[in-house]
Amino acid sequence: MSTRKIDLGLLLVDHQLLDSEGRRCGNVDELALEGGPGESLEVVAILSGPGTWRRRAGWIGRVAARLGGGGTVRVPWEDVDQVASHVKLRKRADQLGLGRGDDRLRPYIEKIPGADR
Amino acid sequence: MKIFNIALGILAAIGGFVDIGDLVFNVSAGATFGYQLLWVVVIGVVGIIVYSEMCGRVAAVSGKAVFDAVRERLGFRTSLAALISAQVVNLMTLAAEIGGVAICLQLLSGLPYRWLILLAGIALGVIVWVTSFDWIERIFGYGGLCLLVFAVAAVKLHPTWSAVAHGFVPHMETESPLLYAYFAIGLLGAAMTPYEVYFYSSGGVEEQWGPKDLGLNKANAMIGYGLGGFLSFALMIVGGSLFLEKGIQPEFLGSITLGAEVPLGQIGLLLALVGILFAVGGASIDTLFAGAYNLAQYLGWEWGRYRHPSGAPRFTLTWLVLLVLGLGAVMTGVDPVQLTEYAVIFSAVALPLTYVPILLVANDRAYMREYANGRLANVFGLVYLVVIMIVAVTAIPLMILTNVGQN
Repeated sequence: MSTRKIDLGLLLVDHQLLDSEGRRCGNVDELALEGGPGESLEVVAILSGPGTWRRRAGWIGRVAARLGGGGTVRVPWEDVDQVASHVKLRKRADQLGLGRGDDRLRPYIEKIPGADR
Repeated sequence: MKIFNIALGILAAIGGFVDIGDLVFNVSAGATFGYQLLWVVVIGVVGIIVYSEMCGRVAAVSGKAVFDAVRERLGFRTSLAALISAQVVNLMTLAAEIGGVAICLQLLSGLPYRWLILLAGIALGVIVWVTSFDWIERIFGYGGLCLLVFAVAAVKLHPTWSAVAHGFVPHMETESPLLYAYFAIGLLGAAMTPYEVYFYSSGGVEEQWGPKDLGLNKANAMIGYGLGGFLSFALMIVGGSLFLEKGIQPEFLGSITLGAEVPLGQIGLLLALVGILFAVGGASIDTLFAGAYNLAQYLGWEWGRYRHPSGAPRFTLTWLVLLVLGLGAVMTGVDPVQLTEYAVIFSAVALPLTYVPILLVANDRAYMREYANGRLANVFGLVYLVVIMIVAVTAIPLMILTNVGQN
C-alpha cells in the first residue's frame, strides 16, 4: 500500500473488488473498523455480500439480503493489494470465499451446448 | 486498416442509433406537428453525444462502466432505486423491441404474430449465444443502414424545404401546447435512451479502452450518433410531408413503412422493413445486455459479452432470464408501439439517476486525471443536466394530461 490518503467513503465503499487474477468478485459493501473513542480508527477488514445489505436499505435491503442468501464474506485488510479505481486483492477469489455464486452456477451454464465457445 | 475498422464501427453505430422509440416518436411527431419539432431532435442528439462521450471517457480512463459509477457515487440504497427503475424501463423497451421484430417478420412473411414473437425471441437468444459480438454488431448495424431509404423518401416526397429549415428554429404554432410539449419530451427521451450508454460504456470497458482510445470514443459519439440523428430528421420529415398531409397517425409500426412505400414503391417498402427489422433487432440485443450489465455491475459480479457464457455465469443467467421475461411481456398481447411510448417516457424520468453520477465521476480528478471534464464538457454537461431535470419532472404529468399523446 502506498501512504496516499484514501477517502474511505468515496474511494473504497461500494467499489468493485478484483481478485489477484483480475476476476470481478463482489463489491466493498462495508468496512470493519477498530479503535476505541479517542484512539485512531483502523480499517481491519472489508465486508462483502448480501448479509450487509439488510443494514443498508431498510426493508428492501432485508428482502434483497434474503434473496441473495444473506452471507457475508470478511476480507482481512492485509489481503488488499491496491486501492485505485477498483480494489485489488492479493489472493484468488476462491481462496477468500468470494464469487461463490458464479462458481456454483457455472456447472449448470456449462451444460448448455456452446457455452464455452 | 485501422481507419477502415473505425469507419466500419461508425457505420454500425449509425445503423444502431435508431430503435423503435425513435421510429415511433419521430414519425408521429412529424404526423402531428409537421417539421416544427426538428429543433428538439437536434437538442436530443447533441445530448446523447455529450452523455455518451462522457461515459466512454470514464470507461476508458477509469475502467468503470455506468452502473459501477452509479453504485459508488449514490451508495447502495439510492443506486438500488436507480437500478430498479433502469431495469423496469429496460424490460419494457426490450419487450417493445421484440414485438417490433415480430411485426416486421409478420409483414415480411404473413405468418401469425404470436408465433413470430416466439420465433423472434428464440432467434435472438440463439444469435447471441452462437455469434461473436463483433459480428452481431456488424450484421445488425449494417442491416439497420437500410433505414437510409427514409432519407431518400424524405427527399422524394418534395417537402417544402423552407418549412423544414424553419423547423430547426424553436417555435410553436399549435392549438395544443401540451401535446407539443409531450412530443418534445418524447423526442428527447427517445434520442437519449439510457440503455445506449449502459451498453456503450460497458463495451468500452470490455474492449479495454485506455486513454489512447479517447479519439475513437469522440469519433464514435459525434459521427455515429450525429449521423444517426440525421436519420431521425428524415423520419420526421417523412412524417410531416406524407402522414400529416394525408391525415394518417402511424399507430402501427407497419404504417411507418408507408413513408418509404408511397414515394419509392415496393423496393422502398422492402428496404424499410428490412431496415426496421435489423435496427429493432439490434436494439433488442443492446437492451438485453444493458439489463444484464446493470445488475452485474451493481452487485459486483463478473460480466462480459466477449466472455464465454460460462466465464460470467450469473451475467449469462441474467440475460437469459430477461429474454424470457421480455418475451412473456410481449406474448400477453400488449401493443409494442404503445409499450414503446411508455418506455420512452419512463426512461426520461429515470435519466437523472444515471446522468448525475456520470457527471460527478467525469469531474473526479482522482480517477480521471488530466482526462477529467474540461470547461466545454462541463458547460454542456450542466446545460443538459437542467434539460434532463425538466424532462424528468414534466414527463409523467404531460403523459397524463395528453392521455399518452392521444388528444
